[in-house]
Amino acid sequence: MRSRGQKAAFWLAAGLAGFFSLAPFLWFVITSLKSQGSVTAIPPTLLPEGSLHFYWSAFAGYGLLGFVLNSLLVAGLTTALTISIATLAAYALARLRLRGTGLVLGLLLAVGMFPQTSLAGPVWRILQALGWLNTYQGLVLPYVTLTLPLGVWILTTFFKELPRELEGAALIDGCNRWQALWRVILPLSAPGVFTAAILVFIYAWNEFFFALLIMSDRARQTLPVGIALFQGQYTMPWGEIAAASTVATLPLVAMVLLFQKRIVSGLSAGAIKG
Amino acid sequence: MRPAARKAASLGGERVFAWGLLAPCLFFVALFAFYPIARSMFLSLYRIILGLPRLGDPFVGLANYLRLAQDPEAMLALANTCLFVAASTLLELGLGLIIALLMDQAVRGRSLLRAALLIPWAIPTVVTSQMWRFIMSDNYGLLNLALFGGDVAAYRAWLADPFWALAAVILADVWKTSSFAGLIILAGLQTIPAELHEAARIDGAGALRRFIHVTLPALRPALALALLFRTMDAFRVFDLVFVMTQGGPGNATNVLQFYGYQKMFAEGFLGYGAAVAVLVFALVMAVSLVYLVFFRRALFREAA
Amino acid sequence: MNPFRAGLPWIAALLALALCLACGDSSPPAGGAERAGGRIVINFVTWKPNLPEVWQEALAGFHASHPGLAVRRQIGPHSSTAFHDLLTQKLKNRSREVDVFLMDVVWPPEFASAGWALPLDAYFPPRERAAFFPAAMEANTFAGKVYGAPFNIDTGMLFYRRDLLAARKWRPPETWPQLVEQARAVMADEAGAGRYFQGYAGQFKQYEGLVCDMLEFILSAGGRIMDPETGRCLLAEPRALKAVAFVREQLMGRVAPRGSLIYQEPESLALFVQGRALFLRSWPYAWQVSNDPQKSKVAGKVGMAPLPHFPGGQGRAALGGWQMGISAYSRHPEAAWAFIKYVTSRPVQKLFAIKGGRAPTRRDLYEDPEVLAAQPHLAEMGRSFAQAAARPRTPLYPALSRLLQVYFSRALCDPQADLPSLAQSACRQIDELTALSREARP
Repeated sequence: MRSRGQKAAFWLAAGLAGFFSLAPFLWFVITSLKSQGSVTAIPPTLLPEGSLHFYWSAFAGYGLLGFVLNSLLVAGLTTALTISIATLAAYALARLRLRGTGLVLGLLLAVGMFPQTSLAGPVWRILQALGWLNTYQGLVLPYVTLTLPLGVWILTTFFKELPRELEGAALIDGCNRWQALWRVILPLSAPGVFTAAILVFIYAWNEFFFALLIMSDRARQTLPVGIALFQGQYTMPWGEIAAASTVATLPLVAMVLLFQKRIVSGLSAGAIKG
Repeated sequence: MRPAARKAASLGGERVFAWGLLAPCLFFVALFAFYPIARSMFLSLYRIILGLPRLGDPFVGLANYLRLAQDPEAMLALANTCLFVAASTLLELGLGLIIALLMDQAVRGRSLLRAALLIPWAIPTVVTSQMWRFIMSDNYGLLNLALFGGDVAAYRAWLADPFWALAAVILADVWKTSSFAGLIILAGLQTIPAELHEAARIDGAGALRRFIHVTLPALRPALALALLFRTMDAFRVFDLVFVMTQGGPGNATNVLQFYGYQKMFAEGFLGYGAAVAVLVFALVMAVSLVYLVFFRRALFREAA
Repeated sequence: MNPFRAGLPWIAALLALALCLACGDSSPPAGGAERAGGRIVINFVTWKPNLPEVWQEALAGFHASHPGLAVRRQIGPHSSTAFHDLLTQKLKNRSREVDVFLMDVVWPPEFASAGWALPLDAYFPPRERAAFFPAAMEANTFAGKVYGAPFNIDTGMLFYRRDLLAARKWRPPETWPQLVEQARAVMADEAGAGRYFQGYAGQFKQYEGLVCDMLEFILSAGGRIMDPETGRCLLAEPRALKAVAFVREQLMGRVAPRGSLIYQEPESLALFVQGRALFLRSWPYAWQVSNDPQKSKVAGKVGMAPLPHFPGGQGRAALGGWQMGISAYSRHPEAAWAFIKYVTSRPVQKLFAIKGGRAPTRRDLYEDPEVLAAQPHLAEMGRSFAQAAARPRTPLYPALSRLLQVYFSRALCDPQADLPSLAQSACRQIDELTALSREARP
């Protein structure tokens, strides 16, 4: 950018883009800080009173804490399982001599595109047979399946970039293959693992469709389902919905702020370099 | 052992080891993805109605699919889905390009700008949907306040109008996922060698000409990829409709995945619902194959 | 800093938390234990009660009078559709964790036909059934057997601004055209004074409530949705068409805001309690909310009347309310029935009426002096309950309801749409459903 005009144009565009990215959500944050009387005032008021009433009400009256814990548990377990399984698979795909690598990667990519309705019915039956409807493992297992493509693709890309000679050296030093993976490759690929973990966590934190079907019990529901069903037959608690939404979103905003670089590289690496 | 044989043994060992590492992954994918798809296809050939167990579950061949073709609500859902896919992906690609160009500039505060633009992508879709529903509400919505100020009589009920309701669902999707398209395009931008721009600049090309003649052609693979990813995802739209409109008004925002969900899980028409689900699956696969053939060169060049 | 180092404690903390929660959760889920402290546990699937204190009191009474039994509640979402999905999922699953459940008034045929609900004839003799409102008992009956006991009852009512009508010396409207006339006059005055004001607030979103609202218009014009004998769809008949056309042309966008097309109960009530609407069609719960100064700007200025009708017709209100049924997979049907019998008994219904203002399902309570002294408005409601009209009864009700919702929503949101052809198209699909359920008759 050389000229002042270009600079001005850039900042104008950046300002506009930033405004439209943030304003809608800020409006929800503002709404969550309003008082009971002003949340559905006609016409709406711009400034909140700074009341924490809706947060209190969402936690005390709507069981928000339970949704948060369920979400943490499900997203955390999914991340741990997916990353473990994906690391093994990606190592095999990226660094071992194997026929059918392309086929496996292609199949995984296809899985990432399966519509949820075409999976939901049979998955529901499997979980029913196992007695795992309304259990954490019952939701984590499908989530692991749905996040494996993402994890495997990112990690495969990452493993491919490590120098070829690493395992050779390790094997000569007397390590077996397992040790070569565990002691040499894994420590070096920590950044890639971390990136994949962030993305998997965000996916599992946000997923709605399977959570809606599998967790019908209010006590087991995750945040998205909880928030979608806040509305009662006789109540439309916008203030509580806004408060719960803020609670559900702040961890993600924090992750984006802290790990923006990893997310950018992870998403674009998985996409482009694969 | 002769060296060749040892090498073969070690290669065999490596294969076994590799498949061993892949096994858990393949197990999950087979059990929770491929088996369910196959099972859905199988179920779609039967008539299974939960509310009427007396009818049994007879094999009906392709009858469910024939019904689907004559079901006006299913065809409307198909049309709405296609409209949603076309409008949202095109808008996301356009805005994604702008976002990518903004993110690519080397300025102070770039990481903050990138984070700001990424935040919509990280917000749960359910939250996005509730948020836009609230913003678009007739009496206490921010949109009406922004457009009409305090003139309450002029306020419009956006989600009560068939056209605007679908537009609102599209807008919410565009708001949320443009930055994802932007990231893919950004990765493409970063692969363009700076020398290309320099050379064009020396030839006297202005910013716009450089963009059209240097940047855009080099971005083709990234654009193709963003288009592919966004299209696949847009066909599966569900959360937005579930929360924002429940398909209304007058089914103007009903989409295939939501229709299939209603049939299967609310109305108990398992076989027919499976047929709707298989239709979505077939559409996604068909469109992605078309893309792969159409953009083969662009995508392939990038992979290589 | 190495990002892995930064991330490791974070992931470890998450895992630790996950493990803690998983261990803390190792006790069997609700209903897993059949007996608690030697008592038979009755698992009751219900929604989050509006009146938790009254429920506490009722349950305490049950536990005191039934020493061998214990009720464990499973709370579902308080929205009919979401609750239906939850409950039917458990029943499809043949869950042993369900003994007693709440059913919306339109569900018994579906639950009966699918084999989820236990017939109650052995427990619930005709003599006892006669104490309840007949419309509610009819809704609980399918193919000659009874599947539920009415827990509470609802009908559509007209709420109005008593102050605004009294200032003009008007009585609440008896016909729909009168309602429109009054609404227009008051709207004109309020608009003249610079206030945003609507005439009529109702529920016209594409959802279950739309069926109730439109059923009332159609019945009060002398029309019907379906022939109760043959199940044939009658939406394309002139009287039904006239009612739908009236709503579209006289109400929508004129005395009712176009936004009503996305209103459910809460949105329409919000308009009324903010003092922005003259009339509100809603359920009896709106009486208490709109007269509560904490929640309403019009407390003390609200009147209640039966719904209007078309000239020459008769006012009919849609029947709502919740029923208590027993799961066909319950291991303790006798215990389950003891609980239902208790909750629907006269003293407990009276408790809910006096302390909670909830409309009882037993007819004689509407003449009970204590009830009427505590809740005088119940007398007016009792008259509406006696006239309530049930929605069509079919085991495929969710599918039927969705077809109706789409037809009504489409007819109302597009002023140019050709009503007869929309109605005929809906009828073709409805008749197909009817044919299916006839095929399944024994």
